[in-house]
Order: sequence, then C-alpha cells, then structure tokens
Amino acid sequence: MRTCLSKKLLLTGVSWLIVTLASGPVYAANWLMLQGTEPPGSADPVRVWGFVQVQYQKDYSDPNPAGGYIPPKLIGPNFTSQSAFNVNRARIGARGVAMPLDSNINYFVLLEMGNNGITEPGNSFAKLTDASVTFNHIKGARVRAGLFKYPGSEEGLQAIHVFDYINFTWVTAQMMLERFPNRNYTPNIPPQPLPPPVSLNGFDLPVGAFRDVGVEVFDAFDVGGGWQLSYAGMIGNGNGLNFSDNNGNKNYYLYSSAEKLFGGGQGPRVYGLKFFAWYQDGKRSADLTNDGTYNPVDYDRERWGLGAKYLRDGVRVTAEYMKGKGMIWQAPQNPSWGIGPGQGNPAAAGGNGAFAKGAGWYVEGGYRFPGTKWELDARYDVYNRLDGNQFEIKFTRTTLGVQYFFNPRVRVAFNYEFRNADAVNFGSGAGPNANLDGIGNRLGVQITGIWSQ
Amino acid sequence: MKNRVRIYLLCGLAAFLAALITPLSMAQEEKPFADQKLVLQISDIDPDKQTLVLNVASNFIKYYGPDRTDVEIVAFGPGLRLLFAENSNAGRIDGLTQSGVRFAACGNTLAKMTATLGSEPALNPHATVVPGGIVRIKELTDQGYLLVKP
Repeated sequence: MRTCLSKKLLLTGVSWLIVTLASGPVYAANWLMLQGTEPPGSADPVRVWGFVQVQYQKDYSDPNPAGGYIPPKLIGPNFTSQSAFNVNRARIGARGVAMPLDSNINYFVLLEMGNNGITEPGNSFAKLTDASVTFNHIKGARVRAGLFKYPGSEEGLQAIHVFDYINFTWVTAQMMLERFPNRNYTPNIPPQPLPPPVSLNGFDLPVGAFRDVGVEVFDAFDVGGGWQLSYAGMIGNGNGLNFSDNNGNKNYYLYSSAEKLFGGGQGPRVYGLKFFAWYQDGKRSADLTNDGTYNPVDYDRERWGLGAKYLRDGVRVTAEYMKGKGMIWQAPQNPSWGIGPGQGNPAAAGGNGAFAKGAGWYVEGGYRFPGTKWELDARYDVYNRLDGNQFEIKFTRTTLGVQYFFNPRVRVAFNYEFRNADAVNFGSGAGPNANLDGIGNRLGVQITGIWSQ
Repeated sequence: MKNRVRIYLLCGLAAFLAALITPLSMAQEEKPFADQKLVLQISDIDPDKQTLVLNVASNFIKYYGPDRTDVEIVAFGPGLRLLFAENSNAGRIDGLTQSGVRFAACGNTLAKMTATLGSEPALNPHATVVPGGIVRIKELTDQGYLLVKP
C-alpha cells in the first residue's frame, strides 16, 4: 500500500517540482486561477453573479421481480419517481477584491438554493458552498483559505454551470462525489416500490460537492512557448461542506497541470491542451457496526487520477482515469457501507465498502458547428465499483447530447443515456443483478441560465 | 563667478522649458501628420470601462490609421487602476503603445492612492505621470483634441 502511495506521490510531486522551479507571468486562466483569483487591477469590488438550472429527466428502468426500485432507476435527489421536473441548481454569489486598490486579496462566496444532494439531506432551504479568501502576496504561492472546491479531477473541479452534460459520470457520481457517514450506525434500505414508503436517501449529511474547508497554496506560471504550469497543495477537514472537522484527521490534496495554450477562447473555454494529475488522502470516521454502541472507526480514503483535455475552435476532447481506495460508497440508500448479501451487516460475506476499491474512466468530446448555436456532445464512461471484489459491479454508459446556445449565457441541453450495470461475477438475475438488471436508459433536458452583474 | 551664475541660469531655464513643453511636444513630434486627435478619459472603477476605453482607442486607430491619429488615454480617480503595472490589460496597453497611443496617469490620484496604501503603487512602464488628469485633459482639448469618456 505504501509503495503504491509513494508512486502516486512521486507522480504528483515530479509535476509539482517542475512547476515550482518554473516562474513567469500568468496570462491565461485555469480552474485554480479562475475560481481562486480575480484579474489584478481590473476586478470589481463586488460582482454579484449566479445561475439557475432547470431540468426534466425521465428514467426508463424496470423494477426488480418483486417490484422494488433502487436509486439508479429513479430521479434524484429525492428518488420518488421515474420522471421529474426539478430546479436542481439555483446559486447566487459574489466575488471580487476586498479593496479596489489592492488586488492582493480576493474573496468568493456562493449559496446553493436548488434541489440536489447538497440541500436534499436535511431538506435545507439553502446551503453555503463557497466562502473563501485568497491572498496573492507571495509570487508563486498564492494562499486560499475557507470553503471552496479542492484541487482534483477535471469533472469535479470544473465550474458546474459550464459542464456539458446533465449528469456526472458513474465514477464521479459514486466514487468522487463524497457521501459522509451518519454519526450513528444506520442500516441499509432495501429496494422500494413506487411511491417509496421510506426515503431512499439514507445519508444525513449533504454530499461533499468536491469541496472542503481548509487552506490551499497554489499558482500558475507562464513558462514560455505557450505553456502554462499550475500546482496546488491543500490541507482540509475532509468533511465536505460541513464547516468543522468531525474526527480531527486532515485530508491532503495535491494537483498539478501543464497546459499548452493555443490563444483564443476565454475564461473557462480558453483554447488549450491540458494534462493533469492529482492525489487525495485522508481518513473518515464511521460507526459501521450494528451493536447499539457508538464506536466509530477511522477508515482510509484515498483517491487519485490523471487526464487530459483539448479544446480548440469548437472541438473538445477530454479523457480522465480515476482510482479510489477505501470508503467506496454503495448507494445513497446504503449508509452502512455493507456489501453483498445481507447488506446492512458490515460483517457480511461480501465485505464492507469502507475497505473496498473502485476505478473508473471516461472519454468525451464535443463539436460546436461553426457559425451556429448548436453543439453535439458524446461521452462514454465506465465505473468498476468494488474493483476486484466478489460483488464488483461494472457500470457503463454512453451519453449522446445536443446543446443549443441561445446566447453565451443561456443554453438548453438534451441528453440521452444508454446505461448498463452488471455484477460481473453473477449471472443474469442472480445476486446484485436481481436489482441491476432492469437499469434502463434515461432522457434529460436541462436549461442553464447564467447571469452576472 | 559670473560665468557660474550664467551657467546656473541657463540650466534652470532649460529645465523649466523642458518641463513646460515636454507633454505637449510628446504628442506633436511623434505624430506630425495626425489630423484626428482624441483624448479618452477613464475615471471609473468599473472594469468593463477599462476594456471599453481600450477598445475605443483600438477601433479609432483601426479606422483612421496610425499615421493620421493621435490618441492619449488619461486615467485619474478610480480609473487609474488601468495603469497599474499588475493590471490584467497590460498586454493590450503594450500593444496600443506600439500603435502610438499614449497613457497619462494623474499625479494627484497617485499621491492620494499612495497615502491610502502606504506605498506608491507600481505603474505600467508606458504610463507618464502628469500633474493632474483633469489639467492634462484641459491642455489637450485646448489643442483641439476631442474628449470622449466611454
């Protein structure tokens, strides 16, 4: 395990070292810079902005032979129906410079009021997703503190309002979008008929939303030849959107990227070819024993990945590979993390997701027709949950998408997903496949409107 | 002794004349055939105004051509941020300078900002500090420059 860890640290560290040794002015943007800093000398003291996403999704899955449904067959975050309109995101925020004459200090706040995994647990009206201050005083070592997106996978780190699909990939939705254990042991919830008599979301806390509370050191450097190198290192609570640390263990994040900038494009759509790698390590406390006693145990949670993204003249190609070890989430209705037959019993023969592995990848591309408002998108993604376990499940999906841009800030996206999930060590109808067999395709339409002062 | 006094007087007179005529001659000597003279004022804090004033200068030169145009951008008040060395538009300022655009930074504003910050903010190397932004605009309009505040 430590050898594996060393390799990953080396991978990220080498990139980091290259970045640290380089120096030069920053001319272009990337996610670290776009989200963490303001343009020097030309930023508003207060820029109010936000976005709304309204969607309709219909799921064509069939229930299990007993008439029960599992969450992948229902529309989240409520899992009460197979078709639903939803205001899944409604965010308002402000960003700018603390004092117009001093570009060295920037801030960023954002509030979520939509209906999603952030607000659904606890039925919150609103939830703060970002509240950070960035200090740009030290060249090569900007410091950002507070609640914000941690450096990690491209799919998680990118701004969601420019995400080109309606749903995340399987691996991002299940392995990367973190669910936090309930304080006390909570049993898994079996498949439910429609309408479900009980909630199919067994978690008490909001999803992590790829965010953490902590301190990050980062910067980006133009090193000549059109290349820009970036790095980030962060230490955080490892407790998502929850403000405090629930177990005293800190989460560590490393990230580095190298991007060849072609010139053209702007903001999140700057033309370039980017290579990136990242690593995250921490511990999570969970009471997974159904013994009536509060006896939490610390479990390792490790994630790492790498990928590349190309964007130029309306052509976009992205590929990412992600791997995880520990705290492999089973489903929103399964906070006991138990797997296999007898779910809800962490000592079940299948084992416990808290010790399991997972791996996934995706490749996607888009083409914006020149001189039109139309874009075609296509994505293929794979997730091997419980990788190597008897109860390993392979999720695959092909997504075909069309986007129409009314203007640069308002667009509508149509997605059709061909989905499949299969417990690879079981035949049809056997074991987990009894519930997975009916997973069908999904249709989605989503309108995104972005506004800014 | 008399010679030394004469030298001091001559030097003083030369320095006075140089200080008096430099801002004016800067424009006239570099643009002897310019018949389209424009002074652009930037005094707002709005970053969109920074972009706009640079766009206006660029479009003006593009239409009339660099030889026929004489453009100066005068920054004062909150608009002086445009001429901070760190400003994200520094690349565009550099490009416009190549086309002959001049940039004047208000000395009064600079002094006030220096007092507020505790140290003088670094200015773009293409910026020339003038005693007062409004005074500079008055000088240029008296010479026939068209004043535009985008």
